[in-house]
Amino acid sequence: MTDRIAALGRRGLDIIASLGRSGRFLAGVLAGIPRPVSGFPLLVQQLYSVGVLSLPIVLVSGLFIGMVLALQGYTILSDFGSEAAIGQMIALTLVRELGPVVTALLFAGRAGSALTAEIGLMKATEQLSSMEMMGVDPLRRVIAPRLWAGFIAMPVLAVIFTVVGIWGGMLVGVEWLGVFDGAYWGNMQSAVNFVDDVLNGVIKSVVFGFVCAWIAVYQGYDCVPTSAGISSATTKTVVYSSLAVLGLDFALTAVMFGDF
Amino acid sequence: MESSAYITLKDVVFSRSGRRIFDGVSLTIPKGRITAIMGPSGTGKTTLLRLIGGQLKPDSGQVNVAGHEVPRLKRKALYTLREKMGMLFQSGALFTDLSVYENVAFPLRVHTRLPEDMIRDIVLMKLEAVGLRGARGLMPAELSGGMTRRVALARSIALDPELVMYDEPFTGQDPIAMGVLVKLIRDLNSSMGLTSVMVSHDVKESLSICHYACIIADGKVIGEGTPEQLRAHPSERVQQFLNGEPDGPVPFHYPASSAASDFGVTGGRA
Repeated sequence: MTDRIAALGRRGLDIIASLGRSGRFLAGVLAGIPRPVSGFPLLVQQLYSVGVLSLPIVLVSGLFIGMVLALQGYTILSDFGSEAAIGQMIALTLVRELGPVVTALLFAGRAGSALTAEIGLMKATEQLSSMEMMGVDPLRRVIAPRLWAGFIAMPVLAVIFTVVGIWGGMLVGVEWLGVFDGAYWGNMQSAVNFVDDVLNGVIKSVVFGFVCAWIAVYQGYDCVPTSAGISSATTKTVVYSSLAVLGLDFALTAVMFGDF
Repeated sequence: MESSAYITLKDVVFSRSGRRIFDGVSLTIPKGRITAIMGPSGTGKTTLLRLIGGQLKPDSGQVNVAGHEVPRLKRKALYTLREKMGMLFQSGALFTDLSVYENVAFPLRVHTRLPEDMIRDIVLMKLEAVGLRGARGLMPAELSGGMTRRVALARSIALDPELVMYDEPFTGQDPIAMGVLVKLIRDLNSSMGLTSVMVSHDVKESLSICHYACIIADGKVIGEGTPEQLRAHPSERVQQFLNGEPDGPVPFHYPASSAASDFGVTGGRA
């Protein structure tokens, strides 16, 4: 019995120690503001691999989610004769919730896992160590550009996802199921508020982007430098990011839209 | 040894995960010479290099490099000191996303503001020194193990350091690659006036090029001196290590309970 309690306590301490390490790690990364001249090309390169290379999965998912929303929405709304409201339903769902959340989940799976594996492998092959020994701080050179790239790319990807989703909804709702396109766009325009809906959605995606990128680079940097360690770190990145995104989404939604 | 000390370790104690790796190691590494640090696997030879490079801090004791007390240095001073050090990692640790040329150019681009044509000249000179000027366009994945180490060596001397540390430079190399590395370490040391520290368990190769050697085991220095002095060393442990004898003060068997009880033949039959 005492062993179990001790094990529980040890696990708790490990978790707290890990949180502490990740906080110090983040402070270390953010303290070294990238130098504009040497840092910019590194940032652009990471924006490409983290952001641009995530576009295909984001575009395709956005399109299908928009199309599914239109199909489901039409089936339900037409029972009440209000299928004309499909535009505002799709837009609000995407802008407020699905855009930021699904993009963040996809981002964690595509870009986050890649970041963790890349950094973990750099650690295992002593590339980070050799950088340190050359007098180059890997936190600034390797980690910071990746963290900033994730932070910047995620909101942009979420906006793209939302736009494509609305367009996919239109394809199914208007082109296929025959909802009047004036109603689709008109209802959307009158129902979606820029500050309450669009801006709050973007704020969510900024928060998710930050958290996902932080978890990904930290897990890579902190991993046990073996093949098993890297695989476990990659899994942790996806699991922790997904849980953090869903949990934070609830908290943010309660703060933003919970004003009843 | 008439030359002055470049690195001095005094009573260094270092533990990791509860295990004591160094228990009062004192060592002097002379300037401008090749010093070999030898010892069985797992005695913390690589850890010693990391202590010298300031990547690890000792629990107690002093690590002095070129007049600087390494564990006490502030981050910035430490990074400046490291610009005078080159380190050849066991795996080479080349940046896999950069070509051979860019790998060698990396420290120059980060630490200097030299124009591109001068960087090109220096990179080609360093690659020429290791015999790989023709391989500048290759990627690390296309290199053999020996070539990887030579490129890494070119990169570690790109900034003309005062000190180069070699972590197991000969491990896993074929005889030709090993011969090349032995020649390179010796030639670079004499032509560039480097201080070289080489961690290795390849006794023959190490003793053939070093001016001074020390053997570490069980967290302590068990023998040191010139190669000749070591070969004539009275300690049985030193002799066992140098001659690669399977049994001796370091037993062949890992400590275990008695064989008889493990095999279930306690007492009874003779």
